[in-house]
Amino acid sequence: MSLADSVAAVAKRLSEVSQHSYQNPYTALDWPETVDPDVDWFSSPELLSLAGTPEWDAMPEAARKRLAFYEAVNFYSLNIHGEKSLMAGLAERLYRKEMIQVADYLHHFLDEENKHSIFFGGFCTRYARVYRSRQFSVNEEEVPRDVGDFLFFAKTMIFEEIVDHYNWLQARDERLHPVARYINRNHHVEEARHLIFGRQLVTELWRTQQWDAQTVDDVRGYLAAFITSSWREYYNPDVYADAGLTDPWEAAETAWQSPAQREHRRTVTAKCLGFLASEKILPEEPVDAF
Amino acid sequence: MLSEPDFRAELRAWVSEKSGVEVTDHSPIFADRTLRSVHIPELLLLMERLRGTPIDVEDLRPTDFRDIDTLATRFGVRS
Repeated sequence: MSLADSVAAVAKRLSEVSQHSYQNPYTALDWPETVDPDVDWFSSPELLSLAGTPEWDAMPEAARKRLAFYEAVNFYSLNIHGEKSLMAGLAERLYRKEMIQVADYLHHFLDEENKHSIFFGGFCTRYARVYRSRQFSVNEEEVPRDVGDFLFFAKTMIFEEIVDHYNWLQARDERLHPVARYINRNHHVEEARHLIFGRQLVTELWRTQQWDAQTVDDVRGYLAAFITSSWREYYNPDVYADAGLTDPWEAAETAWQSPAQREHRRTVTAKCLGFLASEKILPEEPVDAF
Repeated sequence: MLSEPDFRAELRAWVSEKSGVEVTDHSPIFADRTLRSVHIPELLLLMERLRGTPIDVEDLRPTDFRDIDTLATRFGVRS
């Protein structure tokens, strides 16, 4: 089976744009020797995982800025871990016969994800550390190749849709340190192309699938769990410990359960869920994500 | 601090809430696909919160996740 001409045409157009905007991540940004997390904002305060909670209300401004710095490090770390899996999956699919029509764009996708990780890793290793991932695989059973391809690109799209909401807002937030704004802006510009490709490809793979009802249920259950799991990692106790909170695990649980944060997650995910619902991929929102 | 029976009870309750399936301490929760790998970040966060210390992710093995009995022995509250 080959991909529809429409997907191949989009991939060709996106490849041309990627070629035109090809960049060197080692010269694109002047990194300052040091940064001051207590003085500058590195994340937009309204987007932080404690925003709208009593803990946040009780914080002095310097503590809020410190939290915003470590949340930026967590955001970049989540991207690094997500991009590691993404790059592995893209490399695995390069020049496979089902994907041959989009191979040229997969090269750009892979290249751009690697460059994003250079920026994210550059920040984390210069000024803090890369936070650990809690992702671990115990039972990744063999699934049919078309199911695996669909899940891979659907997960990629969901992850990037959530991230892009943060990038888009933070790239425009003039309160943020210039390095933070640059990293968010640069990521948004290239992710916008990846999202166009992702939506086209996910739509096409879903439209042409011929799975039985059990497989469809499994795929939907997996994607719902993936959305919840992706969000849960934004509430990282390691961040709260570095920011000086006394009980980082309780802080994570309280923030996750707070009405303001439930509403935040719902707002950020709305566009993505709207797409998944309109394509009848995920007709109902995940019950435990919001 | 949680006792080991309470640790196990919290895990059983969480698995049931996630999956809609009642499990025992010896149910093969991943092998029978009650849970999948996508649930592990949440499971690790829960166990870290219950025991109050981080779990070294670099040191994990697939066999650590066989069932709740194994999880409690490997990651539960130290006596």
